[in-house]
Amino acid sequence: MDQTPGYHGRYLRIDLSSGISKSVSLEASFLRKYLGGSGLGVALLMKEGTATVEPLSPEAAIAFVFSPLVGSPLTTSAKFAVVSKSPLTQRINDSLASSGFALTGKKTGHDAIVLVGRASRPSVLVIDNDQVRLEPTEDLRGCSNPETQKKLRSRFGADFQIATIGPAGERLVRFSTISHDGRHAGRGGSGAVLGSKNIKAIAVRGTQRVQWSDQLALVRLAKELSEKSFGPATAKYRELGTASNLLTFNRLNVLPTRNFQQGSFQGASAISSEELGAVRNRTRASCAACTIGCEHLYSLKSGVPVRLEYESLFALGPLCGIDDSEIVLIASQRCDAAGLDTISSGGTIGFAMECAERGLIDAPWLRFGDGNALLRALDLMVSGEGLGQLLAMGSRAMAMEIGHDSIEFAPQVKGLELPGYDPRGLQMMALGFAVGARGADHNRSGAYEVDFSEAVDRRNVGPESAHLAVETEDRAALMDSLILCKFLRGVFVDFFHESADILRLVTGWDVTAAELRETAQRIVTEKKRFNILAGWTPSEDTLPTRMLQTAIPEDARSSLSTDRLASLIKAYNLARGWSEEGWLPEAEQCTL
Amino acid sequence: MLDRPISSPIHLVLRPLQVTVELFGIPRLRAGVSQSVADGSTLGEILLDLSRRFPSLGKSCIEGCNLKAGYIANLRGERFVTDPETELNEGDIVLLMSLDAGG
Ligand code: SF4
Repeated sequence: MDQTPGYHGRYLRIDLSSGISKSVSLEASFLRKYLGGSGLGVALLMKEGTATVEPLSPEAAIAFVFSPLVGSPLTTSAKFAVVSKSPLTQRINDSLASSGFALTGKKTGHDAIVLVGRASRPSVLVIDNDQVRLEPTEDLRGCSNPETQKKLRSRFGADFQIATIGPAGERLVRFSTISHDGRHAGRGGSGAVLGSKNIKAIAVRGTQRVQWSDQLALVRLAKELSEKSFGPATAKYRELGTASNLLTFNRLNVLPTRNFQQGSFQGASAISSEELGAVRNRTRASCAACTIGCEHLYSLKSGVPVRLEYESLFALGPLCGIDDSEIVLIASQRCDAAGLDTISSGGTIGFAMECAERGLIDAPWLRFGDGNALLRALDLMVSGEGLGQLLAMGSRAMAMEIGHDSIEFAPQVKGLELPGYDPRGLQMMALGFAVGARGADHNRSGAYEVDFSEAVDRRNVGPESAHLAVETEDRAALMDSLILCKFLRGVFVDFFHESADILRLVTGWDVTAAELRETAQRIVTEKKRFNILAGWTPSEDTLPTRMLQTAIPEDARSSLSTDRLASLIKAYNLARGWSEEGWLPEAEQCTL
Repeated sequence: MLDRPISSPIHLVLRPLQVTVELFGIPRLRAGVSQSVADGSTLGEILLDLSRRFPSLGKSCIEGCNLKAGYIANLRGERFVTDPETELNEGDIVLLMSLDAGG
């Protein structure tokens, strides 16, 4: 059978316990159903039975998944998904990262790399085309991500691309990341999953390329897309970076501040991208094969440049009451080096700060606004010393330990800490957070786009608009499976149609927009099915009690009742064709 | 209270208005200011006025009476608007920002 262009038609399955690896073929029909990235990843994890096992056990699989677009000339397509069961949420977790690891990983001749088992000692997994081996890495124990990548690059040479975990992943911090070239598969603790397998790093090298169905037309289309990517739809990302959201959100009183006790922050101007750009050196960077280049780096006083995005800025700044930009940059740099998800780190520390202020934990040093306390808490999180053990569990597990109803103000859904959008003032996003398969998440649901439009009154969203959240979630599922960067989404007029055009040129399939809509829905449903097998119940589709019982203090109209959220969730479930509570129709319950 | 017959068109008496405009993100970068005033009784009119006051803002974010794709206005932090006919009141505050607030 001829190979489908864009794919190798196989994945590499490595059992780290036995040392046995094998190539497993992937049928074209299966690929067409799940595409790649997140979609293919969740389907492979379902095949492995990972939903019902402990995420940090040897039986749990973790998948590094490429996509049909990886390696093509399409801008922002050099991405890979890391899919596993999250040790933070016990639910599906898919996180994406970019660059050379995606390009070279696919050139090993596989559409995905699936790891199961546990290496007998800390190791680097080397995948050199079809050759697989484990090399001991005792010498790298405790090394930061940049150090590890530097040492392994000099050990293996520049034609290897390397993904690593930092000390946080080694210590199984439940929200540790996997890092590659300064970018992170960030949310949900995939770093801990890799750490539990005794894998400090994966080094890939490959020479196997895929064909494209219509190379000439694809190059033409890629050129057009690149030209559009220089237009107004991406100007914010190119010229200012996502950090420029801070002042906008602050103005709208939806900037989570001091563990969601406020919606605006007095010190916002001092740490805004505008101020940072005025007083610090700023440089720009981009992922491989990207024409947008949204990454903005600001120099520390020492001159060292640090990447800073909105999510890191809000979580390590206002959420912890910090208005010192030097501290925020140092904190962000420490998270990147250690391999900590910045949102969950800031979210958990902000929560701990409130617990300390209420006298629920014995940590008088941990106060909102104290930059040194933030840095100390981050260090403890990584070392596991003292309070660090609690902090490393994330806010939900921490609240369970502390008791005293602290779960009511733990800033999480399904255990995943909320990103920088106060859901009381962005109620379509509130729905997206509540029903999100991986928890409170702004990447798998782009529902905030609806809040920032005329389509709804963001502070009074009704169930008749729930289908708009479905639409943004489906679009995200398709983007994460094709894979294309979300920051490109503004350049598409009709994303499903244009994606079908792209996929036709890549694969030769006679795919249509309608088919891709179905594919996106199938992927969202597959994640739900995973979660149901993992123990999901309707009660977890909700928001922290604080969000449902108090308005944002600066804006009384930004309040969301339990009843209204319930009506939104019910409408969302029905719009998906699920039961009112969110169960799948019986026929779809447990099939793959 | 204005002493005028009920049928008299209001705009003849009250217009033009002056509103405050707050700029965020790219609109702020282009205008070079975080806040300004603009004259006009509709969103379209104040956008025209802003184009006159800040040509580089006009060039990249505004097209006639409309915002270009990728930008949106908000009234008083409460309601997002794009319709150039949207009526404004004296003392209103208009926020101009990038449409895509994600990140
Ligand atoms: S827009 Fe930013 S995140 Fe997306 S691919 Fe480009 S540099 Fe990477």
